[in-house]
Amino acid sequence: MGLLSDPSLTPRGKFGRTLAKHSGKISLFFYIAGLAWFVCLSHPEFSHGTYLSENALSPGLVDPEIGQDSLRLAQSLYEELQRERTEHKSTTPHAWIAAKMHQIGLETHVHNFTLRYPFSAGKEYHGKNVYGILRAPRVSSTEGVVYAAPYRAVNSVHVDITASVPILLAFADFARKKNYWAKDLVFLVTEQEQLGMHAWLEAYHEGGIRDSPILRCGNLPARAGALQAALNLEVQDLDIDYIDVKIEGLNGQLPNLDMFNLVQRLTSRSSLSSGYKHSPRKKRRSHRGSLEDNLRHMLEMLKIQATGVPNGNHGLFHRYRIESLTLEAVKRTTNTNNNNRYGSGLSLLKTIEGISRSLNNLLERFHQSYFFYILVQNDRFVSIGDYMPCLIALASPMFIKAFLLWLTTTATTDETVSEDDSVPSHDEEKPPIQLPYISVVLFMVSALLLGFLCNTLPFSQHVRDYFTSMGVSTEMSVGLILGVQVLLGTLLPLFYTLPEHGLELLHIGVLIFMGVTLIVTGLLNFALGFILAVIISPLTILLNNEHSKGFRQNLTRLYTFLLNPIVIIYLLILWLTLFEFPELSFAELGMRALKASLDAITFGLMDSIIYGNWLYTAIAAIYFPLWILLWTLSLGRQNLITQLEKKTN
Amino acid sequence: MRISRQTLLLLSMLFCIYTQIAGQEQNNQLPEKYVESVQRSTHTNNWAVLVDASRFWFNYRHVANVLSIYRSVKRLGIPDSQIILMLADDMACNARNPRPGQVYNNAKQHINVYGDDVEVDYRGYEVTVENFVRLLTGRTQNGTARSKKLLTDAGSNVLIYLTGHGGDGFLKFQDSEEITSQELADAVEQMWEKKRYNELFFMVDTCQAASLYEKFTSPNVLAVASSLVGEDSLSHHVDQSIGVYMIDRYTYYALEFLERVQPNSKKSMGEFLQVCPKRVCISTVGVRKDLYRRDPNKVPITDFFGSIRPTQISTGRINITLEDEEDFINAAIAAEEEAAQRSTFKVEFPSQFPTELFK
Repeated sequence: MGLLSDPSLTPRGKFGRTLAKHSGKISLFFYIAGLAWFVCLSHPEFSHGTYLSENALSPGLVDPEIGQDSLRLAQSLYEELQRERTEHKSTTPHAWIAAKMHQIGLETHVHNFTLRYPFSAGKEYHGKNVYGILRAPRVSSTEGVVYAAPYRAVNSVHVDITASVPILLAFADFARKKNYWAKDLVFLVTEQEQLGMHAWLEAYHEGGIRDSPILRCGNLPARAGALQAALNLEVQDLDIDYIDVKIEGLNGQLPNLDMFNLVQRLTSRSSLSSGYKHSPRKKRRSHRGSLEDNLRHMLEMLKIQATGVPNGNHGLFHRYRIESLTLEAVKRTTNTNNNNRYGSGLSLLKTIEGISRSLNNLLERFHQSYFFYILVQNDRFVSIGDYMPCLIALASPMFIKAFLLWLTTTATTDETVSEDDSVPSHDEEKPPIQLPYISVVLFMVSALLLGFLCNTLPFSQHVRDYFTSMGVSTEMSVGLILGVQVLLGTLLPLFYTLPEHGLELLHIGVLIFMGVTLIVTGLLNFALGFILAVIISPLTILLNNEHSKGFRQNLTRLYTFLLNPIVIIYLLILWLTLFEFPELSFAELGMRALKASLDAITFGLMDSIIYGNWLYTAIAAIYFPLWILLWTLSLGRQNLITQLEKKTN
Repeated sequence: MRISRQTLLLLSMLFCIYTQIAGQEQNNQLPEKYVESVQRSTHTNNWAVLVDASRFWFNYRHVANVLSIYRSVKRLGIPDSQIILMLADDMACNARNPRPGQVYNNAKQHINVYGDDVEVDYRGYEVTVENFVRLLTGRTQNGTARSKKLLTDAGSNVLIYLTGHGGDGFLKFQDSEEITSQELADAVEQMWEKKRYNELFFMVDTCQAASLYEKFTSPNVLAVASSLVGEDSLSHHVDQSIGVYMIDRYTYYALEFLERVQPNSKKSMGEFLQVCPKRVCISTVGVRKDLYRRDPNKVPITDFFGSIRPTQISTGRINITLEDEEDFINAAIAAEEEAAQRSTFKVEFPSQFPTELFK
């Protein structure tokens, strides 16, 4: 009788308490469900076959007209360029490229840009892009399509892709003779890898309006209207083994799925072996289409997207909503088919022609198919509606737990009050629970302030100049700034003690903050959000105010410590160095990894300053403060004990 | 008494059956004169409304469809002044067209259907549902050019040809609006009420085309559609050099038939309705005959696709009385005097009939 009619146990509190007892299990269930969902996506039942939804593209309706003569032109240009390269070891033969473009009959221009290296003052890099515009003969220049080829100098550390320029020029020569272009064609040769492309795009879209003090792009002498699409070529040789289609762009953005499908459709028509994350034929044959293969395919895509760094020049176009991708034509290494050595070169030209005619047919921007997707195979994909639930499942226990904690915080107070009074009291009579809102909010704000400092100090010109004048290297100065911040963050819970119930309230706040952040990150860049959710979510299960003792508490602390952004970066790089240089001793490895991680952080910062990659910003401004709060919670036991001791005293 | 009652009943039943049979026989035998008069064509002039409702380069085939039909009806004698041609897009001058100013309906490219004498009455964004319905019902806005009006009367045989992208119960116009089958039926009903046609032949080549004539209630309408509800109409072939579909299947086979028709041909509408059997069309051609009084097999195809110019030679004098005879005579005299003053003025008529087409 007593149990059922005891008014101190309100239904809300009772229900809440029962659930709260199992909150760990609930969180674990959601965590496993989220991961299981993701694994399921690799099964053909959960993915869709790709299809073209833009009618205007009508791929493959035209017979390719480009012929042997264009290939021969490409070959002779390639030989000429090879001769030029003996004279230009570290620079681009701009004059030669511009002359060839001019000879073909393109409106040729040169674009200069200057990079002022943001850390060592005064250091400047100069670069030149060459581009030629083929004006559409019968319409005004309101729309354009870019065909780009990056040029790499002889002393470049990257793979030699000299053949892209001759292929581009041969195609330009073919296109010049046709009268059916409805959009301007821009043939662009960039240098300095992504920097040149970025500078050209900045100049194209913002030239004459504003100019960044770090990357001075200037203005362009001629433009070709609103760019609709772009195709980037990385051709290693005229004798091609297969084509790898690269799509990941800045901040994990992707081109419209129609663009990818178009390329797939046309490469298969001209009998080229091609695909996303393509590998040589021999390696491919054994395990194609298996679940394991699909899963690896998806994870590799997420891995590249999560860093937010584009894996080709195409990735910078996505910022301006220009659909683009890179065709990486990989050189044939096995000499199996000698009599048809350049057949594949012609197929590549035919593919480019087919793509150009389909893009020429476009009437509007790409708007039909998917912009958010994960490729499971070349011809299968998972759309945003299907993959978002796994992130939701990973993030939802945070909200559920926050709610349950809220209930139990109030319920426990109810109980203590009723016990003290020893008379069943009604809700109205109880004094409202005093939760230390102000101090908790202040604590959260101070953590966020540290994140803010992490974000502004390295970006500030004065700070950079100060360190340069002191003669400290860039990596060291960035490392120093961030190291101090992290140290401050780690020590913050030790000299800021929260009052009674403060920890519970902080826990609720942190859970909500974490859930919201993860979901927002996931919406902007699913890969990053998902990977962060996978590593952060276990803390929701582990962190517990009441029962964490001994082993579990130590485990929680260790895990939280490992989650520190700097620790994660260091451990990741240590892991990679271990594989890269297995011969080194442990101390040497540690030093090398430390140096590499400082470099990595600096690169992240550079990416953020020059290209607008927001990985650094997100980690420094959001996840670092979040870590401070989580760290406080995992240490929280000590503060509670001191409070209890004070109480008893 | 009993027997006589039964016999009486039997007799009365027999009588009833007899009268019914007799009545049926009488119904079957309509007066021969009436039957003949119904089968005889009563129209005095021919009109054609040819509509391409879809724009965009990849819909090249719809423009080719319409221009091909235009060419055929013109060849069979309907003058440009009585053809309303609506083209929603300009394929000939599209920048993507490798052959500027030309439109072909066949990959072999032997006929440029966008030749020298094409008069487009409604072009580009003028092709709207509103303009189409206004045109049919004769409610054109003030100031509309005469060439943009459908000046039909109770003696007109009208051919309406529609092509574009259709669905169940609608046809898409441009990329923004659609005409429903109900709107179309209402427009035709208004035409009938306003005595704007004698007979109407309605021909549609779109997906689910049969849905467009389902709502018709007006008399004297014969309708044919390239596909039934739930079916797609398909294109015939691609020109690999232009990279678009050239023509739709139904129109292609209809044209194949029309090409063999001459102005004095004896071919009937019944034959025309069977031009595209399912094995070549892939879609099923739908025909609606219940509103049509005549037997299509006895209707010459030139009743709709050609133009009659009835001439009657009279040897005797015809007395034409006018209402205000005086005014007319005075006006005629004044005109004559004026003409005499400009004696150098010479009237030349352009060749009304494009004879070069028949060479």
